Amino acid sequence: MRRKGRTSGGEDGVNMTPMIDVVFQMIIFFVCTADLDRKAFDEKIKLALSPHGPAVEKKDPRTVTVEVDKRGVIKLGQVAVPYTTFVSMLRKTVAEYGQTTPVVIRADGATKHEDVKRVMDACSQAGLWKVKFSATKEKAKTVQ
Amino acid sequence: MASKRKRKKPVTEEAVIPMTPMIDVVFQLLVYFIVTMKPMDVVAHLDVFRPSPEASQEKPDTPPKMIRISIYADGYTINDKPVTPEDLDRLIMKLSSFDKNQTILIMCTALSPHEKLVKVLDLCAKSGLKNLSVISTN
Repeated sequence: MRRKGRTSGGEDGVNMTPMIDVVFQMIIFFVCTADLDRKAFDEKIKLALSPHGPAVEKKDPRTVTVEVDKRGVIKLGQVAVPYTTFVSMLRKTVAEYGQTTPVVIRADGATKHEDVKRVMDACSQAGLWKVKFSATKEKAKTVQ
Repeated sequence: MASKRKRKKPVTEEAVIPMTPMIDVVFQLLVYFIVTMKPMDVVAHLDVFRPSPEASQEKPDTPPKMIRISIYADGYTINDKPVTPEDLDRLIMKLSSFDKNQTILIMCTALSPHEKLVKVLDLCAKSGLKNLSVISTN
């Protein structure tokens, strides 16, 4: 009788502390990783609209995202890269991950085609043929 | 049964944690993240084919069957006929109804904005066309 009473008492006051600790850890982990993913792209680039384009379902982890801004500057992960360096970097990518590595070009809507073409030429020089253009399918609803 | 309850009560009172401050803090965090969060745009990826570097050296001689869409800085042409964006949309829709796997040759001039190319690719994606070749011209 005494033993049974003690067990039921323990059930009543469940120890919440470890659970809360773990939940907090998870929240912080997800917030940090979500932020990192966003910081990799240039905010100033305004992608062209493509309301009918296929949405990105699954992303190849090898994907190389190249950004081209309005003036035609090639950027890799927010850093401007000169053309020759860019080509050698793509070559290195090919050596490491093979020619099927997808390249996503995030070009501003106002970028001239010749600048985009330069990036595509660099890709074909390096032997990469899976080229995709990134476009906005749906604008996010702004809260402000 | 009654004796069991009596014994249980002091144990629960001992183990109780003040929840109010924790809930306050959690709510603060929640509100902070909601306010600072910027919703992301939904992004589409448009697939294109590029001519291989060897093929680009020679002049592109196009079979008459192929649909050629040219993009200029100030407009579009389809099979060398100038069209408005609305007509282009209609024509692509009509042409795609015959064969979804036909190759569409998209020729883009150097000075046309990227936006226009994306627009044409979007119209092709809308009609379900898959073989889109993009060629750059001067």
